[in-house]
Amino acid sequence: MQLARVIGTVVASTKSPGLEGVPLLIVQPLDRRQHPEGSPVVAADAVQMAGPGELVYMVAAREASLALAEPFVPVDHAIVGIVDAVATDGERTPGKESGPRGEREPHERPAARGKRAR
Amino acid sequence: MKLARVVATVTSTINVPVFDGRKLLLCDLLDPEGADAGGYLIAVDTVGAGPGETVLLMDEGNSARQILDARDAPVRTLVVGIVDDVELAPAAGDLPPPAAAAAESPPRRARSPRRRAVR
Repeated sequence: MQLARVIGTVVASTKSPGLEGVPLLIVQPLDRRQHPEGSPVVAADAVQMAGPGELVYMVAAREASLALAEPFVPVDHAIVGIVDAVATDGERTPGKESGPRGEREPHERPAARGKRAR
Repeated sequence: MKLARVVATVTSTINVPVFDGRKLLLCDLLDPEGADAGGYLIAVDTVGAGPGETVLLMDEGNSARQILDARDAPVRTLVVGIVDDVELAPAAGDLPPPAAAAAESPPRRARSPRRRAVR
């Protein structure tokens, strides 16, 4: 898994079957010091809660589609978690670019997740 | 599998359910000498490793899912061991010429000149 910063959203009304309702975000992959590394990619948001500005971790390749409700879809990057902090010994780097996490309840989860249909 | 050094823990409350209750470690990849190889991976801890430790990473999805007993989990990288020591065979240039080696008749388990503790 890799760190990435969400930098935008993608709206696509025509998508491959199975991708309906899956949010697509533009993310900038980061190196371990959280500096941009490589080109931005479009990632499916498996937690359905990430938004621009947030630090996330994502999986690539085959594992990406396993993160989604329908696990056999054409997806090559998926966001699987929103980072609260990256903590080395004695120092913490908060995930959000500026200020505390806003309006959202951190423990609230989308109802759509949870049970898989298989 | 890969050698790596744990540099940080990654915490998150909003994540895919398979990561609930699991520790994520940010690991820098190392070369066999223990130097930074460039690149890093975030791995799921299965052995109780912590920052500063040299670890063994397994970066293969099917094995990772088998170990976690999670058939459809979006997981590929696991920390599967804590490395005590890495011993490298002497490089060709470090070996003494055969005659000198026979004269000295070193003990069989001689300490390699390139032996080096990783931690």
